[in-house]
Amino acid sequence: MAEALVRHVVTFGRVLREAGMEVGPGRLADALAGLDLIDITRQEDVYWVLRQSLVSRQEDLELFDRAFRAWFLRAPTAPLARRDELQVVRLERKAGERKGREAATGEEGEEAALGWSPDELLRHKDFAELDREELEQVTKLMAEMARRRPTRRSRRLRRRSRRLRRHHRGRELDMRRLMRASLATGGDAVERAFRQRVHVPRKLVVICDVSGSMEAYSRALVLFLHALVRSGRGVETFAFGTRLTRLTSELRGRDPEQALQAAARRVVDWSGGTRIGASLKAFNDEWGRRALTRGAVVLIVSDGWEREDATLVGREMARLARQAYAVIWVNPLKGHPDYQPLAGGMRAALPYVDRFLAGHNLVSLEELAEVLSGIERRHAA
Amino acid sequence: MEIGSIDAMERALREAGYLPDRGLATALFLSLKLEKPLLLEGEAGVGKTEAAKALARVLGARLIRLQCYEGLDVAHAVYEWNYSRQLLHIRAAQEGTVSEEELFGPEFLIRRPLLEAIESPDRVVLLIDEIDRADEEFEAFLLEVLSDFQITIPEIGTISAADRKPAVILTSNRTRELHDALKRRCLYHWIGHPTLEREVEIVKLKVPGVPERLAEQAARFVQRLRRLELAKPPGVAETIDWTQALAALGRQELDAEIVEQTLGSVLKYHEDLLAVRDETLLELVEEARAAR
Repeated sequence: MAEALVRHVVTFGRVLREAGMEVGPGRLADALAGLDLIDITRQEDVYWVLRQSLVSRQEDLELFDRAFRAWFLRAPTAPLARRDELQVVRLERKAGERKGREAATGEEGEEAALGWSPDELLRHKDFAELDREELEQVTKLMAEMARRRPTRRSRRLRRRSRRLRRHHRGRELDMRRLMRASLATGGDAVERAFRQRVHVPRKLVVICDVSGSMEAYSRALVLFLHALVRSGRGVETFAFGTRLTRLTSELRGRDPEQALQAAARRVVDWSGGTRIGASLKAFNDEWGRRALTRGAVVLIVSDGWEREDATLVGREMARLARQAYAVIWVNPLKGHPDYQPLAGGMRAALPYVDRFLAGHNLVSLEELAEVLSGIERRHAA
Repeated sequence: MEIGSIDAMERALREAGYLPDRGLATALFLSLKLEKPLLLEGEAGVGKTEAAKALARVLGARLIRLQCYEGLDVAHAVYEWNYSRQLLHIRAAQEGTVSEEELFGPEFLIRRPLLEAIESPDRVVLLIDEIDRADEEFEAFLLEVLSDFQITIPEIGTISAADRKPAVILTSNRTRELHDALKRRCLYHWIGHPTLEREVEIVKLKVPGVPERLAEQAARFVQRLRRLELAKPPGVAETIDWTQALAALGRQELDAEIVEQTLGSVLKYHEDLLAVRDETLLELVEEARAAR
């Protein structure tokens, strides 16, 4: 193959990598081997060969198409996203705000004198009021909490799988083992061997509101869940504002905080407002239909303020509840003593919610962890 | 049959009764030539499984299908020992001793799809359907099999297909993200819904003798449905079933009444049926009937 073409393709791979796609040397080798097999003057065929060897997720197709247009067709195109979305700009609190907050801490300081340790204070502090340092401390506390939890029976709701494992009091015969043991006794099974079904963690689907004031709570909750389930395996995470986006793969391995902030920029319009109903519909249409929700525990984090018609929220919650094993709604506003679920969206959703929790500080997240380890269907709180 | 180019693949698939778009023909061609498994994703009903069957017809090869489900294990995917035969064999030997090698020999082996595909002396097409339904542990196991095309049975040894690798097609509905390692092994193709022209062509192929006008109108109607926000947009499979029903009823073209009566074979969800009725339905029928 012409060396120029090889260089061209390798550079194209780098462009894709910089845009955030995973393009390893193996994929590049496949692309080149593929191009060797076809007539490279046919642009359409070149497109398919590159796409099929370099892309492995539907989510990346749009990005690939834009890169292909820009690189091979020299067409003007919008800048390749994803990477620049990850450049994080952190908003610093204004000085005045900070002072006000310190005054508040002063008040709580009195409580500390009455026997509250600094950690204990932090555990009761509303997530939205944490500053940078405190957030870091809280993250550490979360990790500690997760470590303290009993690991042997990992504290997550489990369900019976169809998989079998050797067990001395199981219910199904372990025929392979039995047969071997029977050899010695001429075909009589003197010793018996059994297998039993294993229990596996239930899938956990998190759908969190990252618009405006909700972002701080969603961030804390996602960090918490990831600390709790360690690897993040079996947790599917979605973020929404005016639109919905899937975060599962972004949260794996990378800095979850950055991933959430990037998501917020993608799904929140500056015009403000949250479209809970439309976002839930998008979720049900795309992911519920593919049975992602079936048998899962679904956790929704939102204050329930719907910008548009609340009846859509009710309808989509009904669809969601039909498929899920249980639905938990976390609303930080519930942490305030005189909160009433009056917001239209929240009222419409409540009939389909099994557990309604606060989740505005560490203590309430501990409660959530407790609930997650033992929730059963249909008992609205 | 040897396939030398994308054009040849396209032609062969057509002759085998499957109308691919250029992308799918390219994907199948590459997968054969590079000897790499092909991962197919796409909405329900776009013909993922059909593509594997068509490939088998093209190659004149046997199709071996492994349908995945939660809890699928080695005993059901690869092999199992025939315990009742083993037991009878021990009994029949009476006082004579039975050695372990004898008992765990090839004649007592029940071959499941993966072993069958690896062991087959002829080339086969191995379809691993809905891989996303299997457990992650199974996926890891599968990764091993797909890397070196060999299976080890402790009692017998290693069985390898290195010199006649099966053509492997995997399908997924994306209910969960597959491991990157598995994806790296595979070429990837996303099958979208077909264009109007191609859908008409598919309907005419699959419903022999269908009136030209009916095929066109039905395809156009379904294409319009896909643009609505439905819980489950209909796939090509639905278009075919529906047109088949309409043709069986002796229809020459669509009208509001017959569409209303038969829409249940296109839309499978109650809320979708509720969303498409009255004016919406009339409008769609009118648009479908309007000449190009």
